[in-house]
Amino acid sequence: MSTLLEVNGVSVSFDGFKAINNLSFAIGLPELRAVIGPNGAGKTTFMDIVTGKTRPDVGTVRWGEMGHSLLTKSEAQIAREGIGRKFQRPTVFEDQSVRDNLRVSLKKPRGPFSAMFDRVTEADHARIEEIAAEIGLSDQLDRKSGILSHGQKQWLEIGMLLAQDPRLLLVDEPAAGMTTDERNHTADLLKRLARSHAVVVVEHDMEFVRRLDCRVTVLHEGSVIAEGSLEHVMGIERVIEVYLGR
Amino acid sequence: MGNSIFVRNRSVPIFIAVLALVALCVTFLSPAYGTGALSVSFTKVLGMTLCLCLAALAMDLVWGYCGILSLGHFAFFGLGGYMIGMWLMTARTEAVIRANLAESPIPPTEAEVSQATALQIFSVVGAEDWPWMWAVSDSLVLSLVMVVLVPGLLALVFGWLAFRSRVTGVYLSILTQAMTLALSLYLFQNDTGLRGNNGLSGLQNIPGAEAIGQERLSVWFFWASALALGLGYIGAAWLVSGKFGNILRGIRDDELRVRFLGYPVEVYKLVVFTLSAMICGVAGALYYPQAGIINPDEIAPIASIYLAVWVAIGGRGRLYGAVIGAAVVSLLSTYFTSGRAPDVDLGFYEISWIDWWPVLLGLGFVLVTLFAPRGLAGLFDYVVRRQDP
Amino acid sequence: MTRTALAALVGVFLALAAPLQAPAQSQPAADLQTLLQDNAELVADASRRTVQDILDILVDSQLPEVPQFLATWQDRELYQRNSDGLFVYVEDGDADPLTLIDISTGEVLGTAGSRDVTQLRPNRGVQGVIAATRVQFQLASDDPARRMAALDSIESDPEESHLALLQGLLDTETDPDLRARIEVILPALVIAFSDEDAPRVAAIESLSGNISLSARATLNPLLATRLELAEALPDGANIARELEPGSDALSREDAYEMLVEEGLAPPRVSRSDILSVLTANIVDGTVGGIPVAELNTEEARDRAYAALVAADLAPPAPSEADVTASLGSVVFFERYLEDSAAVTTAARETLDGIETRVGFYRFLDLSLDGISLASIYFLAAIGLAITFGVMGVINMAHGEFIMIGAYTGFVVQSLVPNETASLAIAIPLAFVVTFMAGVAMERLVIRWLYHRPLETLLATFGISIALQQIVRLVFGALTQPLTPPDWLAGSVTLNDVVSISSVRVAIFILAALFFVVLWLILNRTRLGLEVRAVTQNPAMAASMGINPDRINMLTFGLGSGIAGIAGVAIGLFAQVVPDMGTNYIVQSFMTVVVGGVGNIFGTLVGASMIGGLQKAIEWLNPTNTLAAQTYMILFVILFIQFRPRGIIALRGRAAGD
Repeated sequence: MSTLLEVNGVSVSFDGFKAINNLSFAIGLPELRAVIGPNGAGKTTFMDIVTGKTRPDVGTVRWGEMGHSLLTKSEAQIAREGIGRKFQRPTVFEDQSVRDNLRVSLKKPRGPFSAMFDRVTEADHARIEEIAAEIGLSDQLDRKSGILSHGQKQWLEIGMLLAQDPRLLLVDEPAAGMTTDERNHTADLLKRLARSHAVVVVEHDMEFVRRLDCRVTVLHEGSVIAEGSLEHVMGIERVIEVYLGR
Repeated sequence: MGNSIFVRNRSVPIFIAVLALVALCVTFLSPAYGTGALSVSFTKVLGMTLCLCLAALAMDLVWGYCGILSLGHFAFFGLGGYMIGMWLMTARTEAVIRANLAESPIPPTEAEVSQATALQIFSVVGAEDWPWMWAVSDSLVLSLVMVVLVPGLLALVFGWLAFRSRVTGVYLSILTQAMTLALSLYLFQNDTGLRGNNGLSGLQNIPGAEAIGQERLSVWFFWASALALGLGYIGAAWLVSGKFGNILRGIRDDELRVRFLGYPVEVYKLVVFTLSAMICGVAGALYYPQAGIINPDEIAPIASIYLAVWVAIGGRGRLYGAVIGAAVVSLLSTYFTSGRAPDVDLGFYEISWIDWWPVLLGLGFVLVTLFAPRGLAGLFDYVVRRQDP
Repeated sequence: MTRTALAALVGVFLALAAPLQAPAQSQPAADLQTLLQDNAELVADASRRTVQDILDILVDSQLPEVPQFLATWQDRELYQRNSDGLFVYVEDGDADPLTLIDISTGEVLGTAGSRDVTQLRPNRGVQGVIAATRVQFQLASDDPARRMAALDSIESDPEESHLALLQGLLDTETDPDLRARIEVILPALVIAFSDEDAPRVAAIESLSGNISLSARATLNPLLATRLELAEALPDGANIARELEPGSDALSREDAYEMLVEEGLAPPRVSRSDILSVLTANIVDGTVGGIPVAELNTEEARDRAYAALVAADLAPPAPSEADVTASLGSVVFFERYLEDSAAVTTAARETLDGIETRVGFYRFLDLSLDGISLASIYFLAAIGLAITFGVMGVINMAHGEFIMIGAYTGFVVQSLVPNETASLAIAIPLAFVVTFMAGVAMERLVIRWLYHRPLETLLATFGISIALQQIVRLVFGALTQPLTPPDWLAGSVTLNDVVSISSVRVAIFILAALFFVVLWLILNRTRLGLEVRAVTQNPAMAASMGINPDRINMLTFGLGSGIAGIAGVAIGLFAQVVPDMGTNYIVQSFMTVVVGGVGNIFGTLVGASMIGGLQKAIEWLNPTNTLAAQTYMILFVILFIQFRPRGIIALRGRAAGD
């Protein structure tokens, strides 16, 4: 297992408020990692930094085997490097069909002229069908995604992430708004993905995290306070303190 | 899986058929080739309306599909007009000058013709030399290139600046409005080379076509405008019906998501903005030879707002909506403000349409925005949905 | 500095003025009428040559009624009764019969028909001489205003004799304003009429630092020059500078033209000269052996002309080398019209010093202009800073609210003629009217569109054109006057360079007042707190017991009402027309965006920057305000690229990320 993403000594503050404070984090390929922490621990800001939405004040973010910096790259460039992100609130193109949503996500050249002359090949078609089956939306392919249920939108967004075929997946609260069966299915899917990808899951739901059965990183006030198996971190006094209050 | 644009976008064959039918009707009613039920000036109005429809189509590309509400698109339209206007005016004036100088005992040199032409064109602003921007005005081919190039270049530079600093939404609208205001103020100055507020005039006289006459020219220009609109519609439909269109609509609805899918959003915006500006330039270049005159007032911010309003009234994000909006509103405006509409006598007050039309139009915008956010074309959806539930 | 120079002047004068004083004082005459009757012909048939005699007699008489007599005479309102030759005034020259009045006592003497009297009409020359004499009387008057009037007439038409008069006055005058005038006029007289350099240089130096227009008008003519040429620079001439042909100050063409005019070189042959010579020499369709049809290039024409020269049919054209040689044989120089180098040097130095000071005051004046323009932008934009900046509503009808405010002022003024009272009524009324218009608009239209900002733009644009047209239908399309009260009509003047109209000062004060009041409302009141709460998170605000509907309505009304007051203020100096709002709308949006959305302090900064910048650009290119506006907008567009959130940027969630 080699290191795919390495975040080192990163800090960022908004108007004097330190959202991320000297945070260091690394994940290899393949690996499944859960990031937990109370509200305001900096989980979303951490993802913003990795995906280029927020520039840190200090620190480094290194990517890939060559370990080159992501800090100078735009969001789109970082995405093309192979980092996919699912937002906390499902963001899909509600005005477009499920098929079109998946089609624009497929891993293909991203330039405007390639897009103009793009044709849906047999391979594309097959891949879309395959992903649709995976996320349980095979019979919804030609419906507008805006009329899907909240859980289905979550699925669709995960499907779009799959279509991108990234090396690292950042998944923010994938299980929100899902039934128990759907959660289990999601957890299984993420575990399966983690055999060949690096997957970072941010989640509040401890049951879901337990089911993921992976290494856990605990964030608090912008720093990592513990790392290890769920049982291990839950035994650490500081973590209990943070979660239960003093 | 038909990839032909006529199959992929159902509106294209219908639109082309309707457009062809209109062109046919106009031809049969025209003074030159038909019954003469239409006057020359009204034929020109119809041709100009088609050009406005083309500009509205371009507007729909950026606003309806990509969510960029440009309040400066008439700047591109006007620039297209100015570019072709420079050639029309130069060539026409030069012909007149040559005819005059032919009387002189010693034939004129090229420099003398050029000087006399410049004097004739620019004496109205107290100048006598060719300004730099008229450098290619003696060549039709280069002028036609400029019709596309200059608006495109302005859009490219402006768009590059605006999109890369991520100015969006109403801020971008205000910025585009500032752009068109700056351009019109620039053109209003007498010493900037485009004849200040005199503008360019006599554009209806096509050099070398004096023998053809306005009766036939008006129909020819109508055909050219219809052709441009038809081609523009097919091109726009092709653009928005494929993956490119999906991405544009994605940018409109959720820019961040598109960015995180790895698409360079700024480049897409720039491409569609520039393309749209070029289409507007072509529309303007066809419009002003029919209008006969162009001046900086045409570029004033209010014109661009009207363009946006036409698209909104017609219905955004569906191409034919923009065309319907532009055609309906601009033809109605022409009808009511030309004095053709009969006044209504209420006994105690006589409603003069010339006076009251702007009030109705303004309130009409409000009503459409409030009660028909999908525009006139949205009514089709309503009808279609009732037919197949 | 001024004092010592003046003291020197006084010394010079005593010598100069002595011979001009009247040598002897004659005994006072008994009565004016008698004096006049003694010289009746001189009065009745006064000519420019002879009038001075009777004037001297009258001046010597020192009678108190002489000034009035001279004024009446000069104004052609003096009459002579035909029956006895008595000089009289009449009560009203248009009445019939005329009422005759005694010139000394002012008593009514009776009436006479217009044929019974002769009106005396001194010609212009005589009037001038009388006027000069009256100056003497006026300068001796007890009324400072009359003395000032006398100074005015001296300044506009100076004479050598005035030197002594002014000199005398300087010794006795105590009024500081009058002294200041004398100190400017006296040197001008010395400079104009003195024969010696020393007093003139002293007079010039006494003006140093004086930035008044008349001081500059006195000095500038001394530095006038004339362009001349000669074989060598003449000795002893007062030469300003030597000029090189082909430089910016003197083109080769102009220099050679001078040579030609002096007969020192043959004229050049221009292209049009060649053309007319060729035309005159067309023989059988050829010129100089070249067919006419081929003469459509410069090169062919030159050949044909050369052929004509060879045949002695045309004068040879000097070649470029000839021209250079001719130009090289002489020197060109500018010679001062004033011969004395000491005088021109002193004038140059003094004027340079004055220009430096004038430059400083110009800058001050420009800064005041900039502040005034910024105040106007601020006033126009401040309402928008609330509706757009705080609430995020794009109100394209904002300009129409300004227009409605101005028309409210106009209506009030046509009902209440007293301008001060009408202004006092118009300002609150304009607020009320536009407040209600704003509330109505918010309730009827805008509240349905809070989540569709771009469509708000279109709907309010519709309202904007409808309002414009309705006002046009009611009031007509013509400009309506909105007259400022008298106390606002003038201007505040510091000196000849710096002055600013009172309306603009009032607008500055109003802008400052608005800023303070709004800042207090938004930051120090419950309403302000609720406004900020609703704009940042309406749902949360609602759950805290704030009624967002009410707050939105009030805020929008407040912003609109302020636009109305701004409209009254703007109407006082700009034209009140139905489409006046369109002049302000784009600038106002830019002001708010440049300053930074969401706080009125940003708007203040934005307005200052845009106003100041526009004035600065105008200063660089003063003839072209359109260009200044163009470049200002371009600057704003570029500025937004680098600070998309404006100068005063809010950060975090409030900025609408």
